[in-house]
Amino acid sequence: MQSTFLWLALLLYALGIILAFPSVLRRRPVLSPATLGALGLGLLAHAGALGIEASAIHRLPVFDVRSALSFFSFLATVAFFFVYLRYRIAALGIFMLPLVFVLTLISALHPEQNFNNPAFRGGWLLVHISSIFLGYTAFFLTFVAALMYLIQERELKSKKPHAFYYRLPSLEVCDNLYSRSLVFGLPFLTVGILTGFIWASRRWTGPWEFDPKILASLLTWLIYLVLFSTRLSGTWRGRRAAYIAVFAFAAMMVTFLGISFLSGQHGYLPKFGSNP
Amino acid sequence: MNLLLVGMNHRTAPVEVRERMNIPEPRLGAAVADLVHREGILEALILSTCNRVEAVVSSREEVNAEPVLRQFLADYHHCDLSAYEAYLYWHRQQEVVHHLFRVASSLDSMLVGEPQILGQTKRAYVIAREVGALNGPLSEVTSQAFAVAKKVRRDTAIGSAAVSVSYAAVELSRKIFGNLSGKTIFVIGAGKMSELAAKHLLSSGASAIFVSNRTYDRAVELAQAFRGTAIPFEHLLDNLAKADIVISSTGAPHFVLEKGQVEKLLAARKNRPMFFVDIAVPRDIDPAVNELNNVFVYDIDDLEQVVDANKKQREREAVWAEEIVRDEVQKMMKRLASREVVPTIVALEDRLNRIREMELERQRGRLQNLTPEQREALDALTRGIVNKILHGPITELKSGAGQPGHGTLVELIRKMFGVAE
Repeated sequence: MQSTFLWLALLLYALGIILAFPSVLRRRPVLSPATLGALGLGLLAHAGALGIEASAIHRLPVFDVRSALSFFSFLATVAFFFVYLRYRIAALGIFMLPLVFVLTLISALHPEQNFNNPAFRGGWLLVHISSIFLGYTAFFLTFVAALMYLIQERELKSKKPHAFYYRLPSLEVCDNLYSRSLVFGLPFLTVGILTGFIWASRRWTGPWEFDPKILASLLTWLIYLVLFSTRLSGTWRGRRAAYIAVFAFAAMMVTFLGISFLSGQHGYLPKFGSNP
Repeated sequence: MNLLLVGMNHRTAPVEVRERMNIPEPRLGAAVADLVHREGILEALILSTCNRVEAVVSSREEVNAEPVLRQFLADYHHCDLSAYEAYLYWHRQQEVVHHLFRVASSLDSMLVGEPQILGQTKRAYVIAREVGALNGPLSEVTSQAFAVAKKVRRDTAIGSAAVSVSYAAVELSRKIFGNLSGKTIFVIGAGKMSELAAKHLLSSGASAIFVSNRTYDRAVELAQAFRGTAIPFEHLLDNLAKADIVISSTGAPHFVLEKGQVEKLLAARKNRPMFFVDIAVPRDIDPAVNELNNVFVYDIDDLEQVVDANKKQREREAVWAEEIVRDEVQKMMKRLASREVVPTIVALEDRLNRIREMELERQRGRLQNLTPEQREALDALTRGIVNKILHGPITELKSGAGQPGHGTLVELIRKMFGVAE
């Protein structure tokens, strides 16, 4: 049932992306109602899938790689709608949604793992995980904004406008989205990491501080902190900051996915079960 | 419906000829009135701009309007039209609809996508209506042309990219700064071009303007015109950090701004972006400045290059627009055609049904002993016969509608069934 909903969501996302392309190619100022309709229905189906899973395991379905990916891509789609309604950038559909689609696809293809471990309960953990995910979503937007900025900046510097020049928003708008999502994301990531520490120090024994995922998270957090403070002071702006934001997002994805397979405490199933 | 258009435009006729055939707007009303009152003409519309002169009429079915239009133009311009024959194009029926739709959508313009032509066409329409020259199919076609133009503008990006250097500067500013409100402009060196660019920027929302010039008086003059502030040339660098957009056009033989100076400006601005529009020749701003982060320098050649790219972009959009126009022409033709045959179909149905009723009435005496069921059957029978007879001619009327020669078929059917005009 849950996977039916997820596949339905996937189908609708794909439809939405396919419908978004002509709008962007033909430089329509906005996405067509059909595009938004398909994406909106996709989002509902996705919410349905998550809801069914949540009610089955009685908690937020984020404790294994499959559900975590699905949850993240759900949040990213919600973020897409927020940003689209605020900024009306048709190209956003092309920049954000393919990743959403791929992540949802991976999640749908992954075999179901019903994770149910009583160790993973408690308010701190809920705050930890939801904050981290909100931070990730915000930084996904930062990444998209930085990417659009870099492309538009290159177009403007080259003085030979190509296809992107006409379709991407102004540098100002990219920069605005960039800094807002950064300002939104950093507190969440900070809270997420802090509550993670609190939870871990209460539950875990042993040298959990050296868990690769925790170290990588701290590193990512530092990069974002640097981006944030240089943005405030104005020392880094524009291209340089955008490059770092792209790099930081890549680092975050590695933290989120790659290191999950190396980490003991965050290794997700099935490695985890024997370890706490 | 019988539509005919004669015209010349920037492609078919040189400017001397277009001037000669131009009909100035104050005299347009009288000219349209003259045309529409000629023998056989039902409606008339004249469009006269610097790039085109077009006269369109709808005439009675049996009338060939061509000699009438020739005579009108010869009379109006007191000339022998044969001298201008090579410059003229003639369109009939569907071609007229297609041409009017393309003209209103600015697909036939010298600069494809420029919006002026729509306003001019609307003006011509209003004038023709005022003198009572538009009240039938031509009126419908023309007002539909405005709807099509609107649709083309909405559904394609045909009019959105700047095709003049000064507008290209505004457009680039928008690509960098987004909304221009609250942005500050700095004009270095007063000249025609920089004045024009500054004017466009101000009307696009830029709020403050500074002017600096080697002759201070000229700076003050220009600053007053824009309600801005004049800055003595010696103090240029002290004030330049306030500027988001710098338009430079001094007559200086060397660079006025170099990379090191702009680096300092940026530091003072906390790296907020700057846009330099260098329209001076020789250039005022060292092109190396463009290498700095958050700075964009465009000289006059760069702007021309953007304009060229924009024109190509418009041409690509024009392909989509032509498709929309073609679709709309088909729809319009169908509408006009059905509008033409509807009265005939109604008259035909009327006529046969009346015959049926009359015949039933005549036989009433003999039919009064029928049961209600039988009466009903008789009714259905006669109705069936009428519909079967009607089916052929109605199908012919509908399917042939709008095609050449259909008028004679309509005429024939009317005569055969005794349906008067």
